[in-house]
Amino acid sequence: MPDIDLFNFFRWVLGFIVTVYASIITIQSAYTWYVWLAGSEKYISVLRQYVIVQGLKLRFRAFWGDVLVCILLSFTFCLMWRAQYLLDRTHEMLHGS
Amino acid sequence: MGRLPTNPEVKLITDASATQPAALVVASQASVAASVDAQQTGAALVPGTQGVSRGRQLSDLPIDELKHLADELGLDSTQYETPQELVAAIHQHRQMIATLDRDAMVDVVVWGRRPVTVNASKEQLTQEIARIKAMRFSGLSHRGLIALARVRGVACEDGEPIPQVLKRLKKQEGLIARFSRKRRALLGSVVSRILGESGAQDYQFLPGPGDATAGTTSSTAPAKARSIKDEIEESGLIGGLTGRIKKSADGYVNQKLDEIEARIDRKLDEIDRRLGEWRDKEIANRIRILKITLWASIVVAGVSLIYSFIKVYFPR
Repeated sequence: MPDIDLFNFFRWVLGFIVTVYASIITIQSAYTWYVWLAGSEKYISVLRQYVIVQGLKLRFRAFWGDVLVCILLSFTFCLMWRAQYLLDRTHEMLHGS
Repeated sequence: MGRLPTNPEVKLITDASATQPAALVVASQASVAASVDAQQTGAALVPGTQGVSRGRQLSDLPIDELKHLADELGLDSTQYETPQELVAAIHQHRQMIATLDRDAMVDVVVWGRRPVTVNASKEQLTQEIARIKAMRFSGLSHRGLIALARVRGVACEDGEPIPQVLKRLKKQEGLIARFSRKRRALLGSVVSRILGESGAQDYQFLPGPGDATAGTTSSTAPAKARSIKDEIEESGLIGGLTGRIKKSADGYVNQKLDEIEARIDRKLDEIDRRLGEWRDKEIANRIRILKITLWASIVVAGVSLIYSFIKVYFPR
C-alpha cells in the first residue's frame, strides 16, 4: 500500500489541472486573435493598425502600482517555491526518501 | 485607328493644346475644300474630346454628334448644311483654338466665372468659353476679349482696338438675338429688384487632381460679380433662376455636408475616447485577476510550506 500524502496529492493535481486549463484558454484566445488580425482584408488591416496605435497609446503609469504588486507577488511565489524545495530536500535528508 | 493619309496635303502636326502626342490633322489651312477632301478620305483623326473618342474620325461621326461637338466648341452648327462642311469648320476652329493664348482664355473663363481647373486644357477652356453668352464685357482684358471673339467665330487680329472687336461681336450676335437679350436684361433687372442682390464671391478654380494651388483665388483678371440680372440676361428667366436656385442648393448641401463631417469627427473622437477608456478598464481588470491569482497561489504555497515545515520538524 503506497503511502500517499493527501495534501501533496491535492496540491499536485490542483496545480496540474489549473496549469493545463489556463494554458489551453490562453493559447486558444491568442490564436483566435492572431487569426483574426492576420486577415488580409482592407478593414482588418485598418483595424490592425488601430490596435497597434491603441497599444502605443497605452500608458504604463496608469497601471504601474498593480504591475509592481504583481512583480513582487511573483517574486514571493518564486521564493516560496525555493523554500518548498529546500524543505523537501531537508525532509529527504532527515527521514530518507 | 484610322487609315493612314493618302492625301498629299495631309501631314503630321503637333496640337499645341493637347497633352497627348500629335494627332493627324489637316495641315493645309488654305482652303476648306482641301480639309473636306481630307475628311472624305478619312485621313484626319480627332484629338480627344469629351464627345469624341480618341482616334475616331470626325467624318465617321453622325451628324447630331458633329453638331453637338460644333456647338460645344462655340460654332453655330445651323450655318453648315452638309456634314463635310461641319467637319471642315470644326477642324479649322480647332486649329484656331490651338493658336490662342492660354492666359487670354483663362482671363475669359475667370471673367465669365466658369468652373474650370487651373490646368485645364485649351479645348476644355474653349468649351467653357463657348457657354458664356454675355455681351457685357466690362472687366474683361483686351487679350481675353480677342480670345472670346475668336471662339465665337469672329475674325479679329491680335492687338485690334477694343471698340472694333466689340462692334464685330455685336454684329455677329444678330438683331433678333440682341433683342432677346435686351428683353431678358429687362426681365432680369425686374427680378433682381424683387429678389434683392447678394454680393458675389471671388472667382475660384475647381480643385484639380494633385493641384496644390487649386481653390485659390485667381489674380489673372478682375473677378466680375455675377448678379441675378446678368444670369437672367445670359440664360433667360427660367435658366437664370434655376442657376441661382442650384447655387443656393449647392451652398446649402455643402454647409450640411460640413456639419455632417464635423458631427462624424466628433463621434469618431467620442468612440476613440470610449475605446481608450474600455481598453484601460479591461487591462486594469486583467491585472486585478492576475493579482488575485498570484495571491491565491501564494496562499496555497504558504499553506503548503507550513504543512511541509510541520511534516519535517514535527513528525508523528
